[in-house]
Amino acid sequence: MARPFNVDVVSPEGTLWSGDAEFVVARTTEGEIGILAGHEPLMAALSAGPVLIDHDGDQRTTIAVHGGFMQVVENRVTLLTDRARITAGDRAEAAAEALRLSEGDPLDFEG
Amino acid sequence: MASAELRIIRRRISSVSATRKITRAMELIAASRIVKARQRVLQSRPYVSSLIEVISNVGRDAGGSGHLLSEVRDVSTVGMVVISSDRGLAGAYNSNLIRMAERAIGHHTLEGRDTRLFVIGKKAQSYLRFRGYRIDQAFLGLTDRPNYGHARAVANLVIESYVSGEVDAVEVFYTDYRSVLYQIPTRVELLPVQPPTDADTPEGRSVSYSYEPSAEEILSRILPRYVEAAIFGFLLESSASEHASRQRAMKAATDNAAELTKVLTRVANQARQAEITTEISEIVGGAEALMASER
Repeated sequence: MARPFNVDVVSPEGTLWSGDAEFVVARTTEGEIGILAGHEPLMAALSAGPVLIDHDGDQRTTIAVHGGFMQVVENRVTLLTDRARITAGDRAEAAAEALRLSEGDPLDFEG
Repeated sequence: MASAELRIIRRRISSVSATRKITRAMELIAASRIVKARQRVLQSRPYVSSLIEVISNVGRDAGGSGHLLSEVRDVSTVGMVVISSDRGLAGAYNSNLIRMAERAIGHHTLEGRDTRLFVIGKKAQSYLRFRGYRIDQAFLGLTDRPNYGHARAVANLVIESYVSGEVDAVEVFYTDYRSVLYQIPTRVELLPVQPPTDADTPEGRSVSYSYEPSAEEILSRILPRYVEAAIFGFLLESSASEHASRQRAMKAATDNAAELTKVLTRVANQARQAEITTEISEIVGGAEALMASER
């Protein structure tokens, strides 16, 4: 099994997801990127799209993200998202949700 | 006639105690809103601290941040963001803040600087308009429960005016929430952004990142987020302060109403007693007269 590392997904309205994961896939402005434990320090701008987090062996959490940043430092991944939502189901659904987030009124936040 | 007086007092008692119920309800609502606003400040904290960490790391790694939003210019026009509330009944909350902002406007004018007013909340808008200041933009209806979208709308406007050179600096006037009993009007310089330094992140260390796409690009994307997050924080602080002030004002009103009811009840009792006394003496007087005529 892959070595776990710490992942935090935060947005201005709160912490969305936090825990140990084995594998993270995110979409940056340059393309998709997969992160495993021991990744070199990275700072990337995210574009709208799904983020996949594999954790606890066989669990997969998909999060629809609309823009933000990803920082990888010392086995710690921080996703700073403008707006994000945890979606049930596969990445196609998350991708569709991310699109909805970006298409929605930019001022239409919950809260 | 005495019974008319009594009726009027009774009517006042019932109106005062109805008012008391209303102010009491407003007090309780305000109290619950304080808690909610404080919670949201806490919820946004991880985001803000990560943001600061990233900005200072990138700034250190990329060797200073010569970004547009942090560029210091000669100031000829100041943008002023004044955060007040939409509703009154909050004690001196609005007047304290507006007085501070007005003094600052006077100061800038004295120094030969122009001002642009970005006003949040109806109270500041109507006051400043009444006093003849030109308001460039007013945001209404968001101070009760500000959300991140509101902060973003304000931030966009402020950043736009700064980048276009319409203003050379931006100040924010908001009310800082220290405790339920203590909130102070505060003035902050928002733009140019003073990038957070090592002092803010004691665990700060040098990291050589690989960037996607580039350090400059990341900075130019992240600084506006920082401005947004800062404004979001100010809105939440102000909102908590507003509700705290309202809670206090409404508590005072409730106590006053209770006191007034007590006084009025006493007056009503006196009037009733006087009425009874009059009736008895009338009856006694009548009976005496009857007895006298029978004799």
